[in-house]
Amino acid sequence: MSTPVSPRVRDRWRTWRAPLAVLALMLLLATVIVLLGRPRPGGYLDAEATTPQGAHALVALLGNEGVVVEQVRTVDEARAVADPGTLLVVARTEYLSGADLLAQIAALPGDRLLVEPLTEALEALAPGVTAGDYQSSTVRVPGCGLRAATLAGSALTGGEGYQATGATTCYEGTLLRHQRDGRTVTVLGSGEFLSNARLAEDGNAALAMNLTGAHPRVVWFVPVSVQGTGEGTATLGELIPGRVSWAVLALVLAVVLVALWQGRRLGPVVTERLPVVVRAAETAEGRGRLYRARRARDRAGHALRAAALNRLVPRLGLTATATPDAIVSAVAARIGQDAGQIRAILYGSAPADDARLVALARNLDIIERQVRDS
Amino acid sequence: MALTGRAGLIALVGVVLVLLAPRPGLAFALLVLVLVVLVAVDLALAGSVRLLRFQRLGDRAARLGETVEVTLLVENPGPRRVRGRLRDAWAPSMRAVPREHTLDVPAGERRRIVTTLRPLRRGDHRAATVTVRAVGPLGVAARQGGHQAPWTVRVLPPFLSRRHLPSRLARLRELDGHNPVLVRGQGTEFDSLREYVAGDDVRSIDWRATARRSEVVVRTWRPERDRRVLIVLDTGRTSAGRVGVDPTSGDPAGWPRLDWSMDAALLLAALAARAGDRVDFLAHDRAVRAWVSGTSRTEVLAALVNAMAPLEAELVEADAPGMVAAVLAQARRRCLVVLLTDLNPAALEEGLLPVLPQLAGRHQVLLAAVADPRVAELAARRDSAEQVYDAAAAERLRADRHRITARLRRHGVEVVDALPEDAAPALADAYLALKAAGRL
Repeated sequence: MSTPVSPRVRDRWRTWRAPLAVLALMLLLATVIVLLGRPRPGGYLDAEATTPQGAHALVALLGNEGVVVEQVRTVDEARAVADPGTLLVVARTEYLSGADLLAQIAALPGDRLLVEPLTEALEALAPGVTAGDYQSSTVRVPGCGLRAATLAGSALTGGEGYQATGATTCYEGTLLRHQRDGRTVTVLGSGEFLSNARLAEDGNAALAMNLTGAHPRVVWFVPVSVQGTGEGTATLGELIPGRVSWAVLALVLAVVLVALWQGRRLGPVVTERLPVVVRAAETAEGRGRLYRARRARDRAGHALRAAALNRLVPRLGLTATATPDAIVSAVAARIGQDAGQIRAILYGSAPADDARLVALARNLDIIERQVRDS
Repeated sequence: MALTGRAGLIALVGVVLVLLAPRPGLAFALLVLVLVVLVAVDLALAGSVRLLRFQRLGDRAARLGETVEVTLLVENPGPRRVRGRLRDAWAPSMRAVPREHTLDVPAGERRRIVTTLRPLRRGDHRAATVTVRAVGPLGVAARQGGHQAPWTVRVLPPFLSRRHLPSRLARLRELDGHNPVLVRGQGTEFDSLREYVAGDDVRSIDWRATARRSEVVVRTWRPERDRRVLIVLDTGRTSAGRVGVDPTSGDPAGWPRLDWSMDAALLLAALAARAGDRVDFLAHDRAVRAWVSGTSRTEVLAALVNAMAPLEAELVEADAPGMVAAVLAQARRRCLVVLLTDLNPAALEEGLLPVLPQLAGRHQVLLAAVADPRVAELAARRDSAEQVYDAAAAERLRADRHRITARLRRHGVEVVDALPEDAAPALADAYLALKAAGRL
């Protein structure tokens, strides 16, 4: 008689609830750990970003020194906090497009620090400064009389080299400072030394603090999206009609259902104890390979001769105790060949190379055949 | 539970509807709802798999190479029809066909399902789980469950050498009293008196009996009877080696020496039983694996085949002293001990040779081994240096076999060393020769 073996639903629940609980707990823990330990996201030189590219470390240092750092994302926000006593730090000028917008920024009061400005931004915000060749990013010595640079010493600089009449250039032109229209404008070819990853190296931190910490308030204007007008601001997701994502969801559902249909086995896999498969000839083949590997021509020749003699002796009507001389003369008499030659084949020295071994095997075969056929 | 392709198909149609619907979110929710309802309804209305009852009928034993038909009776005592698929699972080497059956059992009825097995391997094979997938009336979802319906099929050794039996029985009859001239000798015993017919050997005329009667009477003789033959099968590591070509499946990887030895043992047992001898059987490696004794002559073959069926070669060195002790304990009278093992010099010199005198002193020992045709093949090919090295290794192996054979013969042991196909007839011939010589 038969007995059902499939578990009922409640049995299955009883089996699985403990592993499921453990899994849920692990997921919860992992989520908490990731949320707590995750670096705060943000782009290059973002004041809040703790990623290697961010500038949170520098902002925190400034805060410790009593400098107030105002992080702004738009021109309007910048205008609200800027006054003649502040330093305006502008980076990521690729997000600042349009002459109107740049003019608005140029109208902001106070000193300026431009980080890697594009040509358009450079012309608007630091008029009179021209950009030269691009230089690779490396550690350079100041090579100028600017106090902020000489105090810091060598630092990681690079980017475009700048020139302007009456300006001080340091680090082979990648740092330029000049006075114009009653304000100090500083241009940096590379802002890499301001980032979290590089701040601790060489004189980077000192240079960064000297450049940005001279004012009681700093307006940190690093946009994260395209500013200004005239460009479409819709993301890719916003451009796709809503029904497509629903259809994709339905498609995922269909795929999952088909996978469940095809993945369900009709009954468990049947296992079986398999027998050992050992080919009995493996020992002979293994020994042959050993002979071959060691070039054991002496042993191989000896085995071949002994086997041939074993077969020859009964055919010649001799007993196993027959002497080599008796065997050689009996063979010579039977097949009518030179006894010396036969002795060399049956009792000669070990073959010196593979060719002679093959020849020996062939000669033994010939003698055996002749004795058999005679 | 299980889903069918229809569930996926419905979801695919739903994708199009979601694309076309005025409110795609709502359409998607509706799709999910419809699917859930359909699956739930189907599961609720599908026939119960748990309530099914199974019963088995059919063959319980077969020779290797034959097909086995196993019948499964499926009874549905539940209130709903069970419609779907059924799998009667067996081990892969049983080669069960068909793999899946379609099943349709109305409530309260029974259906018969026949699975054909073509076993590849000897031994006891148990049925695995019977799994049923009962599809609901909508064909969207199915209930699935397994049942244990126990059944064991014993696959017996094929006894392929029985084709040699008629010729050996004819040889046996020649030894029998029909032709007294042939069998005069110490290996014969007095059978009966009968009338002289022209052609009888005059030396067999019983003059004393002739004097009492009016006609000339001759004595007839027959070979000795009621001797004991003990077949000892070595199931140690040397019996695992594969030689020749598997005669049941044509597998060129070969058939274990154990199976060839069994084949030879069965022919010998059949012959000895017909010749009036008692046949016992012992399988031994580190321990006694099988023991058959005291069965009647008509049943000995069946008993042997049954005892041999589950035997497998064990990957351990055979314990020759233990085997000899077991033989000596069982066979108190002198008998013919047929050892089916391999002429492996290392194994024999360490194991059997030291204890052989104890055995050969009390019993006539006949050692039968299956030679490997591959070794002869290797020894014959001598065209390149590689082949000559292999040939030398093969010759070395053959020389070792000859050496150990000579040593065994010095102990008074008869040795039969034959290629796989010839092993069974060669062993039978050796037995007949011993019987003719009266050495049993």
